[in-house]
Amino acid sequence: MRTITIKLPQYHGVPVEAERISPDVLAGLSIREISEIEVWQGNRRLRLSDIFLISGDTDPDKPENTRVVVEGDLSKVKRLGEGMSAGVMEIIGDAGMHAGNSMRGGVLRIKGDAGDWLGREMRGGRIEVDGNAGNYAGAGYRGERCGMRGGEIIIKGNAGAFLGEHLCGGTIEVMGDAGDFPGCANQGGIIRIHGHANLPGAEMVKGSITAGSARVLPSFAYEDIVELGDMTYKKYVGDLVENGKGELYIASGQIGK
Amino acid sequence: MIIKGGIVYDPANGIFGEEMDICIENGRIAEDAGGEVIDARGLLVMPGGVDAHSHIAGPKLNTGRIMRPDDSRMGTEPRTRVCRPSTGYTVPNCYAIGYRYARLGYTTAFEAATPIIEARHTHEELEEIPIVDKGALTLFGSNWTVMECVRENDMDMLAAYVAWGLRAARGYGVKIVNPGGGEAWGFGSNVKSVHDPVPHFDVTPAQIIRALAEVNERLRLPHSIHLHFNNLGRPGNYTTAIETLELLKDIKPSRMRQVVHVAHMQFSAYGGTGWKDFESKASAIAEYFNQTNHATMDLGQIIFGPATTMTADAPLEYANARIGHQKWSNHDIELEESSGVVPWVYTRKMPVNAVQWAIGLELALLTKDPWKVVMTTDHPNGGPFVNYPEIISLLMSREKREEEMKTLHEVVRSRSTLPSIEREMDWSEIVIMTRAAPARILGLEDKGHLGIGADGDVSIYNIRPDEIDPSKDHAVVKAGMSRAKYTIKGGAVVVRDGEIVAAPQGRTYWVDAAVPESDMDRMLSSLKEKFERYYSIRMSNYMVQDAYVPNPVVVNAGMQPLKEVI
Repeated sequence: MRTITIKLPQYHGVPVEAERISPDVLAGLSIREISEIEVWQGNRRLRLSDIFLISGDTDPDKPENTRVVVEGDLSKVKRLGEGMSAGVMEIIGDAGMHAGNSMRGGVLRIKGDAGDWLGREMRGGRIEVDGNAGNYAGAGYRGERCGMRGGEIIIKGNAGAFLGEHLCGGTIEVMGDAGDFPGCANQGGIIRIHGHANLPGAEMVKGSITAGSARVLPSFAYEDIVELGDMTYKKYVGDLVENGKGELYIASGQIGK
Repeated sequence: MIIKGGIVYDPANGIFGEEMDICIENGRIAEDAGGEVIDARGLLVMPGGVDAHSHIAGPKLNTGRIMRPDDSRMGTEPRTRVCRPSTGYTVPNCYAIGYRYARLGYTTAFEAATPIIEARHTHEELEEIPIVDKGALTLFGSNWTVMECVRENDMDMLAAYVAWGLRAARGYGVKIVNPGGGEAWGFGSNVKSVHDPVPHFDVTPAQIIRALAEVNERLRLPHSIHLHFNNLGRPGNYTTAIETLELLKDIKPSRMRQVVHVAHMQFSAYGGTGWKDFESKASAIAEYFNQTNHATMDLGQIIFGPATTMTADAPLEYANARIGHQKWSNHDIELEESSGVVPWVYTRKMPVNAVQWAIGLELALLTKDPWKVVMTTDHPNGGPFVNYPEIISLLMSREKREEEMKTLHEVVRSRSTLPSIEREMDWSEIVIMTRAAPARILGLEDKGHLGIGADGDVSIYNIRPDEIDPSKDHAVVKAGMSRAKYTIKGGAVVVRDGEIVAAPQGRTYWVDAAVPESDMDRMLSSLKEKFERYYSIRMSNYMVQDAYVPNPVVVNAGMQPLKEVI
């Protein structure tokens, strides 16, 4: 597998638009050609090598055989891995906003925290975040009626507000807590939150949300206790404001205890 | 400027594909000229396009833009040396509207609905649309003063009010949308037939339409009344359409044109009793148009994909929002109208959408006289105007229609007559539908043809009419019509090889109609009282000042006889 390493030696206050840092774009280029790629920092047009140190195997390969490693404090570097369809991309550090936007395939691993709009409108592939994610992970952008449609997002820390807003498919798993309104306007996706969720599933019509604990909206109707795996859950149906058929499961105990 | 050797289509002057030179001098078509020579050898040459019904400016457009940040992500184009940045697909920004019309070879576009009270905003936006000439029609259909004049049968006062309204709005003609229904919507209801009285006004839509048509002719306005029917968008509404047209049969036009222009006919040619047995009644409508001569229509063709519906028909928009579980804007425009905006998506596999698509094409193909049918999508209600080349290629090729129908829901075959229609339009008919007829219908004497003295608006396409067969080479037709090789506006090249090379400011048409002073005084004294009592603004803050229309073309009309329009 071809590995390309892109290092950010110093933190930049002015955001960098780095949608071209993805296996799809870099796989077919030599290291020299990669250095010449155009990026924007604020209103300045730069070459990739003006900001980043680039190294690695120089022979072009297919995107699916390419691993891109990005290192440094990338919290102001936006749109990493946007639209990627294959290969592996690893971010050693925090990623800026819009990482993994509209992703269609491949794997994006973020070893630190992710900014807002992580994996927004993604259709396939897999995103793993070791730290926390910002607001609107897996959501649709302003005005969109469909957010994430496929693939999976795994957040090992906490997620911000509006997790999976307008979710139309795919799976989101959060090991920690979620902020306000996870899964709002869910149109058919799956969200699993292991920690606490605040007001999940507002305006949801389809899909399912599972939470370790939650403050439940009054527009959800309690149905029954159900067993899933080795846990018992309170099952709710809603959001009834939308005549919704969504399912909300709140953990209530462990079987055998 | 001399355009050399093109294959020219100018049906208004009896020219159907002749190789000839066109000269433009001082912005107008001339006998001969000097200056730049454009080599158009073998290429398709026609007058600049004229869009007679489009929604391109005014508060409802801005509402659409605010409601749809998702739309502004589509169709973004960066700034160039000549152009400002473009955004949007169904509700593009003002600049994009001008550039995209010019790229299609269009040089004129009319905004189809503006309430008087918001006309100032309409003109502010029109001014920001580069290149094309434009104008705006003024809404009168659910206006309190209009309905009161109709109830009192005071035609002198109504004429004075219409003349004043056009002047106040710097408007071009009389637009009527779901007459009475907009006012009924203020009370949460609608009118269900043309004989259904408007709540609190004791008048019927039929009376409003007839009175406005009579006054329109009395004022000798260049355009006829421009009518959006009652019950628009509802199954079974073709009977309302025919009933309404029958009302106007005996009115005598004051100029050489129709008595009524029907807006976006596709939305009013529906059969069935509900959405389940929804079917096309385009054949009945076309049959009516074939037998009568007092009406013209535009298509309101739908285009699959996203659209943004926007209309003064507020009850219709409420219904749309409920059917589609969509975002909805509702607007009450004081004593004048109502309006609504709802985003939409037309889907190939949706039975209703498939039949709607067929209806537009059926109307165009079944109506024998192309001078009665002009091509529109009711932008952005049926879809954005940038899709006109798609419609042209469908009208010219049965093969293309068959290919499209294979991708649609199968009811398109059983509930419309489109599969059995063999007609394939030729270039002359297309030029009539997109240029000559809309100009004649609007009463624009200097548009839509290439006669001596006409505006120097010419479009040249990278299509060789002598070498291609549009019924087979429909992809060539669509690609060629999408990006004009040259668009010439007022004698200046604005598009070359599909790119904008200049963006001059277009002009704005409005109609100044004269009425007897005594009628105007009588009307104004009653109107002043209405402003004091009901309006949220003063009458002195109301008129569109000349500063808002810096490049006007004032068309004079009024009660004294004028030169006949040819």
